[in-house]
Amino acid sequence: MVDDTDPKGTKQKASRRDFLKAGLLSGAAVAASAGAARAAGEPLITEIQDWNRYLGDGVDVAPYGTPSEFEAHVVRRDVPWLTADPVSSINFTPLHELDGIITPNGLCFERHHGGTAVINPADHRLMIHGLVDTPLVFTMEDLKRFPRENRVYFLECAANGGMEWRGSQLNGCQFTHGMIHCVVYTGVPLRYLLEEAGVKTTGKWLLAEGADSAAMTRSIPMEKALDDCLVAFKMNGEALRPEQGYPLRLCVPGWEGNMWVKWLRRLEVGDEPWAQREETSKYTDLLANGKARRHTFMMEVKSVITSPSPQVPVTHGKGPLVISGLAWSGGGTISRVDVTIDGGRTWQPARIDGPSLPKALHRFYLDINWDGSEMLLQSRAMDDQGLVQPTKNELRAARGENSIYHNNGIQTWHVNNDGVVENVEVS
Amino acid sequence: MLKFPKSAAVAVLGLTLLSTPSWAEGDAVAGEKVFKKCSACHAVGDGAKHKVGPELNNTFGRIAGTAEGYKYSNPMIAAGEGGLVWDDATLAEYLANPKGMIKGTKMAFAGLKKDDEIANVLAYLKTFSQGEAASAPAAEEPADAAPVEAADSTPAVSTEPAPAMVVEASKGAFGLGRVAMPEEIAAWDIDIRPDGMGLPEGKGTVAEGDPIFAEKCAVCHGDFGEGAGRWPVLAGGQDTLTRERPEKTIGSYWPYLSTVFDYVRRAMPFGDARSLSDDDVYALTAYLLYLNDVVTEEDFELSNENFSSIRLPNEENFIADDRLSEPHYAKGVEPCMSECKPGPVEITARAQILDVTPDGEGDESTGGGID
Ligand code: HEC
Ligand code: HEC
Repeated sequence: MVDDTDPKGTKQKASRRDFLKAGLLSGAAVAASAGAARAAGEPLITEIQDWNRYLGDGVDVAPYGTPSEFEAHVVRRDVPWLTADPVSSINFTPLHELDGIITPNGLCFERHHGGTAVINPADHRLMIHGLVDTPLVFTMEDLKRFPRENRVYFLECAANGGMEWRGSQLNGCQFTHGMIHCVVYTGVPLRYLLEEAGVKTTGKWLLAEGADSAAMTRSIPMEKALDDCLVAFKMNGEALRPEQGYPLRLCVPGWEGNMWVKWLRRLEVGDEPWAQREETSKYTDLLANGKARRHTFMMEVKSVITSPSPQVPVTHGKGPLVISGLAWSGGGTISRVDVTIDGGRTWQPARIDGPSLPKALHRFYLDINWDGSEMLLQSRAMDDQGLVQPTKNELRAARGENSIYHNNGIQTWHVNNDGVVENVEVS
Repeated sequence: MLKFPKSAAVAVLGLTLLSTPSWAEGDAVAGEKVFKKCSACHAVGDGAKHKVGPELNNTFGRIAGTAEGYKYSNPMIAAGEGGLVWDDATLAEYLANPKGMIKGTKMAFAGLKKDDEIANVLAYLKTFSQGEAASAPAAEEPADAAPVEAADSTPAVSTEPAPAMVVEASKGAFGLGRVAMPEEIAAWDIDIRPDGMGLPEGKGTVAEGDPIFAEKCAVCHGDFGEGAGRWPVLAGGQDTLTRERPEKTIGSYWPYLSTVFDYVRRAMPFGDARSLSDDDVYALTAYLLYLNDVVTEEDFELSNENFSSIRLPNEENFIADDRLSEPHYAKGVEPCMSECKPGPVEITARAQILDVTPDGEGDESTGGGID
């Protein structure tokens, strides 16, 4: 939604309500200029434009390119009240502005517990020790001499949607679902490194630790470590971004983002889990009866409609409308996504477009002819294990409202006659 | 791989030091790194706001304790009224030993130990002080093609002398990497398990932990672990786990004491991790047990000997992941496609009503959170 009175995108500072209003107005403006065009021709076409006459920037103006100035509003945003300090905080991927299944590196949400560590790769070491035949230290150079793999995976924070347990709260899929990204990683299968050190038969768990000021740690079952974990140094072809763990991070496909330890510096092999702070105080799921589940590693089947959604209302009026969204499952691939426009009375299968890769985002579309009446939009994903995304009420019935983590309930967007979209819940 | 590869960073730092006449001038680029020790509590630069400590724009020439809108301790205000103005000399003294210079200052920071760190952080802060910026020496541009050998010939480089170590190559299939030395493993292997594996030797009492907590932790966590502002609450909350707003603390929620020791030692105080001695951590852990009513005597001493005998009350309430047995997953039926609900669907909740979506206006939480 480009507003030509605001080419620099200063609109991002304006309030969301202004934003919605502006969207409606610019829709009206388009209709008016279409009328004018019939009379004398649209000036954008009949008059020679500056960009058509004058030379643009040459190469090398931006040795590392940036998005168009008209996309300046497409940024990560945070919710200041969520945490005490920006150094241990979170921001959100602008899902509503993205398409396809790959998240651009600069838009991948950030969550760190002690700020972004700044590490010169020449100073980085990875140590493997504990129940191994030979404890080893690797430099980045050593790691890049092991055989590599390229894999597309989503990374979702276990707390994605955590603010919505008690009812719809945040207006925008950036905030309700934006603690997720999906990139192609290049790295070394963790199994090669463990084999190089020689895991003893008693080695059943792995402790991964980061080099940042939080020295983040998580226990990972050896079975998973030997299965599909990667030690990655590239994302989308370029070096990891600092906020994503440069120079080295762990990938634990399909499992909660907190386990994907950034600035990875140490792997200890042991015979039991360590019960670190991030697997006891945090990342355990409190149930209504006061019991808490631990080691809830897998991210369950989930989906959300990214457009239309509260930050991207329908501005074009009735007629053809592309309903677009994302679906994913930590269990494998997505086999089907159904969409409803009447709040769940009738459903129709959506079209999944683009690659369908295990533990990666899937893009779906439903192309409809909108009659301009109110809609209650929902999407419901099913994975190749046969698991179906539950409703929020089904989740609450099973878990209560204090779980914080692993909220994969079906999201509802209310679209009114003007195309304005709101986060709601339905009967 | 016969030696540690020399790091480019060390080389650049070495060059900078060579071309810097004296420590007192400081290097703003290096100072930016030092400032990471401050940034948990202070902001500086465009739009900097007060955090735990005041924002530090225009510190040079500022009368101590006078940044607008910040609530200073009384001793800091008194120091300013007594004529204390921040300049190179006064700041150096304060940063070396905050409590030594201003008794009772609420800056819970042990001080910078190295003169060059102080000089560098001051050079960095100067770049945010009007009038001073021009006279501050421009940060040295690191020469791109700096020969790595320069680091060797620079006496000022303060990296540990490379130990005369015999490096053993990996014996694995690829022969990559080298064997980790016991000293290296000991330096990084600081994790502790619930069974006590990994505990260092040491001890500390509740009474010893109390002043350490007051000095190093209470600014954020409150004198009694109640949490200042939105910083984490560390004590209380017993019997709240089934309520609408559970308070999850060490006493009410955490399953194991080992996690307290492990976490405080690895990550606290926030912004100055790994600065506590093992005995300090034993004393703080004992004090946190006391704040949570797990122990009641002030002379209770926690040590590696009695550590594993202490149990936290909520241990038995942790269960395995049984999500897949929940009814909505277990039923395993084809999802309904038509006439799935009897009548028209009603809206039961709306985000507009709460409207806590960040939009630049007053952003207030009404509940929920990500922890
Ligand atoms: C744990 C939090 C914390 C850390 C870390 C910290 N400070 Fe402070 N700082 C404070 C507080 C709180 C005050 C206010 C002191 C008072 O009122 O007694 C303060 C005061 C100051 C002042 C006096 C400002 C004035 O307006 O009078 C300066 C200068 C300062 N700090 C610099 C630093 C620098 C430089 C560092 C890092 C080397 C640092 N501080 C680290 C919390 C901290
Ligand atoms: C500058 C503020 C600050 C200071 C000073 C500080 N902490 Fe913290 N503390 C934090 C923050 C922030 C977190 C949460 C970090 C995160 O999000 O990962 C935390 C977390 C903790 C936790 C875990 C809380 C939970 O529920 O998981 C403990 C225990 C703790 N701190 C103990 C201490 C002790 C002991 C000290 C003093 C040695 C200390 N802290 C000093 C800010 C502080």
